[in-house]
Amino acid sequence: MKPMPRQVILGVVAGLIVSVWAFPVLWALLTSFKTERDVLAYPPVFVFTPTLANYREVLFGPASILPNLRSSLVVTCSATALTMAFAIPAAYALARLRYPFKRFSGFYVLVTQMLPPVGLVIPYYLALQRLGALDTYSGMITIYLTFSLPFAIWLMVSYFEDVPYEMEEAALLDHAGRWGALWHVVLPQVRGGIAVTTVFVFLNAWNEFMFAVVLGGNTVRPVTVGMFNFISVEQTQWAKVAAGAMVAMAPVILLGLLAQKHIVKGLTVGAVKGGGRR
Amino acid sequence: MAHSPVAVIDTQAQQERRFALALFAPAFVLLLLITTAPLVFLAWNSLQKLDMSMPWLSGFAGLGNYTKMGSDPRFWNSFTLTVIYTSSTVVLQVIIGLSLALLVLQIPRGQALLRVAAILPIVLAPVVVGLFWRTLVLAPDFGLVDLVTRALGLGSHNWLGDPQLALISVIAIHTWQWTPFAFLVLLATLATLPPDVYEAARLDRASAWQRFWHITLPLIRAAVVMVVILRTMTALSAFAAIFAATGGGPGTSTEILNLYAYRTSFTELNIGYGSALAMVLLTLTAFVSWLLFRRRSSPA
Amino acid sequence: MNARGSVRLEGVVKRHGETTVLHGVDLEIHAGEFFVLLGPSGSGKTTTLRILAGLEPVSAGSVWLDGEDVTQAEPGARDVAMVFQSYALYPHMTVAENIGFPLKMMKRPAAEIAQAVRAAAARVSIDHLLARRPGQLSGGQQQRVALARAIVRQPCIFLLDEPLSNLDAKLRLETRLELRELQRDLGVTTVYVTHDQEEAMTLADRIAVFIEGRIVQVGTPREVFGRPAQASVAGFIGTPPMNLLPATWHHDAVTVEGSRHPVAASSPASRAVTLGIRPGDLRLQAQGLPAKVLYVEELGDHAILNVQTGPTRLKVKAAGLSPAKEGDTVHLGFAPEAVHLFDPAGGLRLA
Repeated sequence: MKPMPRQVILGVVAGLIVSVWAFPVLWALLTSFKTERDVLAYPPVFVFTPTLANYREVLFGPASILPNLRSSLVVTCSATALTMAFAIPAAYALARLRYPFKRFSGFYVLVTQMLPPVGLVIPYYLALQRLGALDTYSGMITIYLTFSLPFAIWLMVSYFEDVPYEMEEAALLDHAGRWGALWHVVLPQVRGGIAVTTVFVFLNAWNEFMFAVVLGGNTVRPVTVGMFNFISVEQTQWAKVAAGAMVAMAPVILLGLLAQKHIVKGLTVGAVKGGGRR
Repeated sequence: MAHSPVAVIDTQAQQERRFALALFAPAFVLLLLITTAPLVFLAWNSLQKLDMSMPWLSGFAGLGNYTKMGSDPRFWNSFTLTVIYTSSTVVLQVIIGLSLALLVLQIPRGQALLRVAAILPIVLAPVVVGLFWRTLVLAPDFGLVDLVTRALGLGSHNWLGDPQLALISVIAIHTWQWTPFAFLVLLATLATLPPDVYEAARLDRASAWQRFWHITLPLIRAAVVMVVILRTMTALSAFAAIFAATGGGPGTSTEILNLYAYRTSFTELNIGYGSALAMVLLTLTAFVSWLLFRRRSSPA
Repeated sequence: MNARGSVRLEGVVKRHGETTVLHGVDLEIHAGEFFVLLGPSGSGKTTTLRILAGLEPVSAGSVWLDGEDVTQAEPGARDVAMVFQSYALYPHMTVAENIGFPLKMMKRPAAEIAQAVRAAAARVSIDHLLARRPGQLSGGQQQRVALARAIVRQPCIFLLDEPLSNLDAKLRLETRLELRELQRDLGVTTVYVTHDQEEAMTLADRIAVFIEGRIVQVGTPREVFGRPAQASVAGFIGTPPMNLLPATWHHDAVTVEGSRHPVAASSPASRAVTLGIRPGDLRLQAQGLPAKVLYVEELGDHAILNVQTGPTRLKVKAAGLSPAKEGDTVHLGFAPEAVHLFDPAGGLRLA
């Protein structure tokens, strides 16, 4: 018997991996088009009449997740915008400039990134409760900043460090001044890094759950919490859960597929370059 | 000598300092307010007896919460579970991720497809992943896994309802979601390794395993360590997936420290004790990161 | 001296933590000069240039441009332009935008900028590349863009940091001459850093030789070549560099490896010296310093013989084809005036 060519074996293994990773999502997609009865059938049906009833229910029914989508959009976009506005200048200072306590501040940013969320959610809950700010957008956005900001600074620092220092010196000699050098020369060069960081911050914020469920309520109810609309003690509406999940995850899946190359680059940059030293 | 307006009063160093502080201070102050202040508050609360279900008992408790922890079996259970959960999932991620990366390196044509597939688990919200697995993959009778085991004749099991299987299941879930991260990073790192080092090694008659052990591993060490650090942090604070899949149960069989603190604070409303538990988790996280970072700066 | 473009450094010291990079540098550069800072890597010449530019602060001493103390002035406040070794072009801007950038920062009107950019680009022959980006240009073209960006605002002083080192050899030689012509045309004081002594010799009006953070000699190329102030300078300048070997000097002759040669200078007592003699000044004679030929480099119009005498290796330059073969024993001699004598201890010139 002829031994199988190596490439083919490797190809089969690779195919297995792809299926392991992609299958749950595809399975959910499939399920979202089934009727509840079809879902529970055994053996499982692959050929069935697809229905949009689940999506109709999920989007327009009484337990619609459209308000959840709106919540998510507001919280995520605001948190992302605020994060980038604060993180970009801070990262530049950390990467380039000399100032007192710089090492400490780099370390501080690193440390705040490692805080377990449960350690923050408890005091926040008490504080917001006393301020009457539970279930408010400002409260939610503020706590979203706690994990976004250090992470964004940390990522942007490595991008800033990649800009050759001589370029800034040339700009200074060209009468640009420090602000001019930053604005005209440095920032255009880290455009890619800013894009990647924004994608990551957005993803993390959109997918956040613990803060959303503890500090939210009926007004501020991001989509990650809205998922549970279709699960109650009595029954789980499997197909609708699947449909709800697909709707909730559509933006991030889309973002992931579109920005895929950048995401991989960002992961590698973050992992290999290391945290905020200079 | 006449001094023209060109000469500046401040020295350059002072100017740079002011510029730097103007850029950094806003973020720093913000971080102080939203992270450090709450932590101080948390520490304070951990020294209180703050039980929302029995508010008349509230008051200063000193280290009472911590001593109580020492003899609390549920605490030790969650601590052990945390250690098991974190170490097994990180080890699995690195081993599987690295093996896959090494494998994939040899199939240049499949790489693009694999990278797309790898992105999917990472971009999903952990809570959704937990829900997916609970409802579609691990559900008895019609979940994916059950279908497979039934087809193989291994029968149907209650993957999330059985205390022993539940822990394995949540570890599997976490590993499933985050292995692609290790895979992608290590694949990218491996791709940057210079081929001439390998050629030199082949000329030196090194076997494939020797080449891997003596050349590849040291060269990717930095990336591996960083992956371990990041994945460990995620594993220590993993919440949403377990919450969605098992809620910490059945009973307390998947109740890692994170979840214990959450349940104590928000389900049992014992915020004082919950704060203390969170403080312990914080300390544990700090300790682990210190250990890992030391490994990182020490020479190979 | 206050003519436009004069530079003075007084007692400039630069420390980097524990190490002292510059030990008290004093320098005067005249307006319109092409002044070269020459020295091996790490000798402090680039640091001096950056201090002139304002990119590095001084630990002590002062810097004067046109009679004004600019020691504390920001780089943008001094009227200097710099060409970096890596050119430091802005990759996201076109060539025209790169060149026009300093004028834009100085808030000049757009029409003026456009015209100045065109003029500067024409000066260095890149006016056909104005719409391209630096990434699309060759090394030589990038270098010209950097030059154009420097000349466009007609500064007091040009600073050039090894601008030719990234070019291939042939391009380097061509560009060298162009630079010289450019400077003559513009008449701007130019301070040029290089480790290539040939470059220094061909380009400079005057040279300052840096060794280990100190200036050991300042002079015209002729002076530095003809009368090096130190053994280290002598061993650095010239292609191939000067031969240095131990000898004894008494009265009007030196004895080296047992062979006696008359010299132009006279010493009252007998003393040990380091004898310096250029490869081109060594002649093959019937009698003289014995040496064994180790290796011959035939370069077409001249040959270099690598010989060994005693423990020292020497190079001898001969016109035309080599007069000797490998393995031969030859005898070397030299004219009495062609000798340089240095103190073996400090390296300072004695005669």
